[in-house]
Amino acid sequence: MAQKRKSLIKIKPKKFKDGEVVKVSFMVMHPMATGTTKNKKTKELIPAKFINSVKFNYNGKEITNMTVWEALSTNPVFTTYMKINGKGKLTVTYTDNTGEVNEKSKKIKPKG
Amino acid sequence: MKTGIKIALSVALLSTLSFGGEQFAMSDADRAMYAEMLENNPADLMVANGEELLAEYCGGDEGIAAFLKQSEDSLPAYLAGFPRYLPEFKQVVGIDQVLQGLMSKNGHKPFKLKSGDMFDMSAYVKSLANGEKSNIDVNANPQMKEAYALGKKTYMTKRGGRGLSCNSCHSDAVIGSVLRTQPLPDLSAKGVAVAATWPAYRMTKSSLRTLQRRFQGCMKNALLKVIPIGSPEMVALEVYLTSEAKGAEIAVPGLKR
Amino acid sequence: MMQRRDFFKKLGVVAAVSAVAPVMSFAGDKPKSKNAMSYKTAVDAITGGKTPKKSSKVKLKVPEIAENGAVVPVTVNVESPMTSSDYVKAIHILASKNFNARCIDVNLTPANGKAMFSTRIKLGGTQEVSALIELSNGDFLIATQSVKVTIGGCG
Repeated sequence: MAQKRKSLIKIKPKKFKDGEVVKVSFMVMHPMATGTTKNKKTKELIPAKFINSVKFNYNGKEITNMTVWEALSTNPVFTTYMKINGKGKLTVTYTDNTGEVNEKSKKIKPKG
Repeated sequence: MKTGIKIALSVALLSTLSFGGEQFAMSDADRAMYAEMLENNPADLMVANGEELLAEYCGGDEGIAAFLKQSEDSLPAYLAGFPRYLPEFKQVVGIDQVLQGLMSKNGHKPFKLKSGDMFDMSAYVKSLANGEKSNIDVNANPQMKEAYALGKKTYMTKRGGRGLSCNSCHSDAVIGSVLRTQPLPDLSAKGVAVAATWPAYRMTKSSLRTLQRRFQGCMKNALLKVIPIGSPEMVALEVYLTSEAKGAEIAVPGLKR
Repeated sequence: MMQRRDFFKKLGVVAAVSAVAPVMSFAGDKPKSKNAMSYKTAVDAITGGKTPKKSSKVKLKVPEIAENGAVVPVTVNVESPMTSSDYVKAIHILASKNFNARCIDVNLTPANGKAMFSTRIKLGGTQEVSALIELSNGDFLIATQSVKVTIGGCG
């Protein structure tokens, strides 16, 4: 079931030209629970809930595809580079092990 | 007599410290790696949440500016001077308490001072002052003078099972010594300027926290009775440390271990 | 030619081994996860048994001493032209002693323009972190660094 999650896509530098290679970061609020830790008060296992897939899609083309495991920190950050190739949209689609699917988009507007 | 105990304690503390230092002191390169993480601070997510909450409950940036009788231009510098004495509240208040007042004025049930939503919202509001220099004026009025004195007293008073005060670990004498891999920070503007870098993301807690919430964590682990957030002593402690960090450039949210 | 039956027999053996290993290594104290995987199994699963080469082209940046195990910054940079004929196909980050050694598998394309990936991982204790790189020509490169995990400071 989809759930509203806070997420951000950051591009560095903020202003870029067509053809430039920019740093792109995706960050999201997610517990990344491994399923092996216990709730300190109730002593019960916290069920596993972690992002298992992240996909960067730019103008309909998948540029980066990640398989994610339990070990990423809570509220994870994924940073990589991408080559700007025209005006359009970057969409990050992420799913977790419980079947939750979400996406976040950012408009790409190269200057000059 | 008192000095005797003090010296004994510092010697004991220093010996543990140097041991820690030999064992595991983090290198500058390691620290630089952690500093780089500020670029993608997870707290940015919480601050974005705070911005939405402020729009929903407090009328956004304009709402808070109007409530504090400021223009949007003068708001950042004004926010950089908190905690302040506000006649409407009849006491010295932090940004979080101002937000409570504003929420209730707008007919909403205020968030608790110790709630994630309040931390997020106050972090967003304080981030409006980013780039401004912390400009608290502890001589502005008798109430602020009183708060400063109370804050200093709270800072210096030894309490709890181990007879520790804030000053035991954060006095000039021990600053920089390594305690369990962490150098004891200089809280003033010359050092980490705590008041200018909180609210911050606590990596070990995976959440955004305010300065007063951090004081509570510190008190709990040093076996001091925890003082409630928003109480006169707690706000006074924030006044005292903010004044120590006066002049530091505000950069919120911070990122802390 | 391998018979269908033989193939399944072989598969059965592999499955039995991987099912037993996690139980042995995590007996008792920690609840096991169905994703538990040892470092060696993980490397073999990625490379298909090939031995990755150590290479100075792979720059792995992790702290020597992590101030907490919950958030350990990891950055991997690989020297590569990132053209359609010569690019980094994947960056895998592995932690030798986590119950699941695999942290993340990042599949890159020439459209990335630069072979870099950065994230933050959890480490269950002092161990080695590796960046295992798959190149478009099928070669595997590796860089490894040990990370001391401490419980630092107060609170």
